[in-house]
Amino acid sequence: MSEVDTGVEEQVGGEGVEFRLIRVIVVKVLQESLRDRWFWLYTIGFAALAASLTLVAIPDSSVVLSGGFGRTGAALVALVQLVVVLMAISLGARVLPSERESGSLAFVLSQPIGRTEVLLGTFVGLGGALLAALAAGFGVAGVLSTLRDASVSASVLIRLTGLSWLLSLCAVAIGLVIGVSQRKVGAATSTALFVWFVLVFLGDLGIMGSVLASRLPVESLFLAAVLNPVEAFRVAAIVALDGSLDALGPAGTYAVDTYGDRVGLIGVGVLVAWVVAPLTLAWLVFRRGADL
Amino acid sequence: MIRLWFAGLIVGLVALVVPTAEAAEGVPLQDIVDATPSGGVVTLDAAVYTGPVTIDKPVTLRGVEGTVIDGEGIGNVIEVNASGVTIEGVVIRNSGDRLDKEHAGVSADDADGLRVVDNVFEDVLFGMFIRSSRDVAVVGNVIGSKDLFVARRGDGIRLWQSSGALIEGNEIGDGRDTVFWFTDDITVRDNSISNGRYGLHFMYSDNAVVEGNLITDNSVGAFLMYSTNLTVRRNTVVDSRGPSGYGLGLKDMDGVEVSGNRFEGNRIGLYLDNSPSRVDMNHTVLNNVFAFNDTGVMFRPSVKRNSFSENAFIDNTEHVSIDGGGQIDENVWTIAGIGNHWSDYAGYDADDDGVGDLPYRLDDLFSDLTDRHPELRFLLGTPAARAIDMAGEAFPNLRPEPKLIDTAPLVSTPDFPEAPSARGEPSRLTVLAASAILLLVAGAIVAAARPRGIGRVA
Repeated sequence: MSEVDTGVEEQVGGEGVEFRLIRVIVVKVLQESLRDRWFWLYTIGFAALAASLTLVAIPDSSVVLSGGFGRTGAALVALVQLVVVLMAISLGARVLPSERESGSLAFVLSQPIGRTEVLLGTFVGLGGALLAALAAGFGVAGVLSTLRDASVSASVLIRLTGLSWLLSLCAVAIGLVIGVSQRKVGAATSTALFVWFVLVFLGDLGIMGSVLASRLPVESLFLAAVLNPVEAFRVAAIVALDGSLDALGPAGTYAVDTYGDRVGLIGVGVLVAWVVAPLTLAWLVFRRGADL
Repeated sequence: MIRLWFAGLIVGLVALVVPTAEAAEGVPLQDIVDATPSGGVVTLDAAVYTGPVTIDKPVTLRGVEGTVIDGEGIGNVIEVNASGVTIEGVVIRNSGDRLDKEHAGVSADDADGLRVVDNVFEDVLFGMFIRSSRDVAVVGNVIGSKDLFVARRGDGIRLWQSSGALIEGNEIGDGRDTVFWFTDDITVRDNSISNGRYGLHFMYSDNAVVEGNLITDNSVGAFLMYSTNLTVRRNTVVDSRGPSGYGLGLKDMDGVEVSGNRFEGNRIGLYLDNSPSRVDMNHTVLNNVFAFNDTGVMFRPSVKRNSFSENAFIDNTEHVSIDGGGQIDENVWTIAGIGNHWSDYAGYDADDDGVGDLPYRLDDLFSDLTDRHPELRFLLGTPAARAIDMAGEAFPNLRPEPKLIDTAPLVSTPDFPEAPSARGEPSRLTVLAASAILLLVAGAIVAAARPRGIGRVA
């Protein structure tokens, strides 16, 4: 095994990352994802929820003349926060431990493929699978929205899909950190669920508690909230859905007054940082090669 | 001498209503007006006439396409000090910019029966400032302002003690307010008002009809104060997003009927402050749409005697709130067994009579928290906020006192009268195209995952 590891190090150090090999891993991960019943369960569940929300909740344009961001938009954003993050983080967390348990990771690493290629390929492959799932979900929702006189626009559909994918990449990257640091699928899945719970619920509940207990200043509230990728997504999504952050009380008004039109970009920037940082961390842990 | 001779020639031609063959560039309009007899009609050519001009007798100034009256940046472009004057079909531009002097495109005093029709106002501080003039008609004008910070601009239309006016079919944009002071018995109909401070502002002005107006992107849509007997119907008020951001604000108003309006995307759709103010007065808010506002209807705590029926509350972040907390239980949400439509109503209609069998109660726990701690609004709509609401539903001892109970909520939206539309409908074709692209992306990814890649490596 140590020979295999040495060979990988040599290859990575000597020839750099080989994109041809990454593509091999990407295709492999895509195929495995598309065979994964959990992936399909999440995909179908998300598509059904998004479509029903679009059909049932978006008001008829004969009643509402202008359209805008309201509870339905907020519900769609919350749906992405709940389902997509859960889907992506659990996929990201399970993939490497399950390969480790089945022995296929050892087999792959015995081939002339470096750990960097394996990790990057896994990330890109999962990202591709999630893009397929999200594009299918929003695509179906978009088609269904045209069946009735609903006020959804094409640009909103595309922007929401893009942002949701970016959020899913964050969650995959976080999931990969869990995956490279846990040997068993069960442990990785439980850890992923806990992290999801922290990101989606406990973080916000903690902020609420701080506001109630210590009159947290609005700038601290905004900062604390937006550092959470799930909240950063919400900020960017509200802006993308033609909404205004100043609908969100004093902290929203502070954000608009201070950052103006850049507030959506701040959300996107935080999301990108949450892709890069966990992925780097996962790579640092994974390349040590102490997991086989 | 030559100049006088030339002006005399022009006046002679105009008085005879004979069109001039050449453009009369820079002709002083005052000379023409002075030479026009009382009751005369001055037909102006497609030319630039220079102001300022004062009209102190009943005449009609009528332009053709290309007729411009240029104030040269000095004071008012046109001053009217007589009854029976008509200004029609001209471009009025380039007034002074002194806010303290209230420089205007048309400034009128004691000008009963003034008619300002189908004109274009460009680069003027105030569009029209009309004082002490009865039965004025301001119809079909396009009124802009100067490119200044909003508080430095003048009002598109300002009426002061000018009762009986008709303000109809004007397009007013980028000014400050459209404001009526001590002006009774007026009709404000089918105007488009955008990008100003107060779209409409009534002060001490009674017996008015405000209908069919499209009021968009102002700091405040319409703010009606200290006035009585106003009918506000079939208006569309959209995106009032200033610091107050009321779609329609009523302060110390009595005898107001609010019906068939659309309030969409405002900070606050309808703001009620001490209205009605008289104890013998009741207000009816009937058949309006409140959609996508941060708050549908906001009450000051002491507000009483408002009745709401057949309104649709759709996707407001908060349907109803109380400014500063308190109770609004002396307002009514059902009239003669007909309540309102609430987009988050979760009841049912077993007997299929269109009225929900369970009352609509506005008592969610998170809204109660945000009323007391507004900074928590930042987390509105998050899964955590929804979890708190669910906790409130599961544990009744956590549930706050309901802000309102609608005993006969409508399960579907009622019919609404037509109102001016703010935006075009999204194209179904583009939505279909975007959806098709998304589905193609999904399909392409699945296709790319065919087994050939692994085979090649092996």
